[in-house]
Amino acid sequence: MSTPLYQAHRVRHFYGDKNVLDIEDLTIPAGSIVGLSGPNGSGKTTLLKLLAFAMKPTQGEIRFNGRAEVPLSPRVRSRVTLLTQKPYLLKRSVFDNVAYGLHIRKDTNGLEQRVARALDSVGLDFSQFHQRSWHELSGGEAQRVAMAARLILTPEALLLDEPVASVDSESARLIRRASLAARDEWGCTLIIVSHDLAWLHACSDTRLSIDRGRIFATGEESVFPPPYLRTQDGRLFKDLGNGERILLSPGNGKTAFIQKSRIRIRRPGEDDNGYDNRITARITQMLLEKKSGNVLTTLALDGFSIILSLAPDQVAESGLYPGKQVTTLFHSNDITWR
Amino acid sequence: MEYLASGFIKAVELLVRGDASTWSAVSATLQASTWSMMVSLLTGLPCGFALGYFDFRFKRQVRTVLDTLLALPTVCVGLLVYALISSRGPMGEFGMLFTLPGIAIGQTILAFPIVTAITASIVENIDHDLKLTLVSLGAGKKDIIATCLWEVRYGILAAAVTAYGRVLTEVGISMMVGGNIKYHTRTITTAIALETNKGMFADGIALGIVLMAIAFGVNLSLSFLRKR
Repeated sequence: MSTPLYQAHRVRHFYGDKNVLDIEDLTIPAGSIVGLSGPNGSGKTTLLKLLAFAMKPTQGEIRFNGRAEVPLSPRVRSRVTLLTQKPYLLKRSVFDNVAYGLHIRKDTNGLEQRVARALDSVGLDFSQFHQRSWHELSGGEAQRVAMAARLILTPEALLLDEPVASVDSESARLIRRASLAARDEWGCTLIIVSHDLAWLHACSDTRLSIDRGRIFATGEESVFPPPYLRTQDGRLFKDLGNGERILLSPGNGKTAFIQKSRIRIRRPGEDDNGYDNRITARITQMLLEKKSGNVLTTLALDGFSIILSLAPDQVAESGLYPGKQVTTLFHSNDITWR
Repeated sequence: MEYLASGFIKAVELLVRGDASTWSAVSATLQASTWSMMVSLLTGLPCGFALGYFDFRFKRQVRTVLDTLLALPTVCVGLLVYALISSRGPMGEFGMLFTLPGIAIGQTILAFPIVTAITASIVENIDHDLKLTLVSLGAGKKDIIATCLWEVRYGILAAAVTAYGRVLTEVGISMMVGGNIKYHTRTITTAIALETNKGMFADGIALGIVLMAIAFGVNLSLSFLRKR
């Protein structure tokens, strides 16, 4: 079995006293596409910065190709690259921006052709753009130049932090296309943070969600985020604020979660006796998952959501559509703690 | 007001004719200020970068001292340098009192805090995403420092021009350390002070014009560099 590209073990990171990341184990195989989602402030960007070796975790180690690495290590420089939502372009021409990484690597053979190819991969014409200054670009063009500056390095890992969140739809399409081409052409591992669930579900091999610094496998698990309360008889529950409460199993972990396969949407006329959790939710989004052919159905509860992968037959049979209110059924005993 | 107008006309005559004492003061000013600026930039830029870029113990205190030194009175610097390089001082054996190198030492002490403090402020205000971008593009420590300095080059030029302006226009150091010796250590500013005291307004105005022309030329060069 080949060595994973990334292995993180007991990685914790603090800003002051605040623990912003708490990862027990994370393994990312080479050549995979990992989709990472989570609410603002959940630790996504911190995780990407750590994986980009732009900073060192407070505790734990991150292995790259089997070796524990630190920021600025020659073994990770140019091999891991991060594109942020708002790229910083150097105060120089487009050509110099794209060629910067190769210049510092002193790898300048066929530089002009390589810059042209990198610009072309993000839909920018070399003759039209290479002499332009950094301040003569629109937001979408600047993001594509920043993407080209990373693609020209042919990195082993390309980390994308909301890369299309603030660009026009055409730029977003070109950036998505270029990132997938990087995986197909040289096996680049992609780790993508995005709120665009449709894109993440369409392209990623593995989907993870991050909440309060802890990682969960989105495809299999769903999180019931804290806070949790106790009934008078000591039973744990999560108050949903609308008069409903999720009964939880006894446990002593920090976060409650459930395997998605254990959650059902009540069919019309179905008897729900036997389930101690009958929670009302509203369908907010339905997307076709290209790989499985299932329908990704987002159910909004109070302040959080659950995404279920449903067979098209079930969707048709239950008459599900965005906006519809449904009842979810699950046993408290199926809720576990981590 | 008539004497001012006639002084201005005479000033032009002095400059066009190439009056030896006038041009000697110009030369002394340029020599002393060039040496002091070279030394203060060579030392102040790295110190300013380190102060702005790195976090270390007592950083805030160092900044406070540096900011205080921005308002350093030139006569105090003159006094300090005089004490150091006079025959009784620790550097007396080098014989630098009443010489241009002596003036340059004083002017370096004047310019160093300006270059350092402004560079530190500029570096502190560098966009946080710049370093992240450079690391993402494979930059090492040296590349990061060099690129950061290049990114803030206009700010650093402004720091240099500010320091040069202070050095060019100071009187206290040149007067105390240089001694205002004609054809030797008389600079533009000390010459203006002396000529005005003597009632020689034309000479004073001529030197004033040169001083302003130098300042204008420096700013014009900066503006040209910015456009490039």
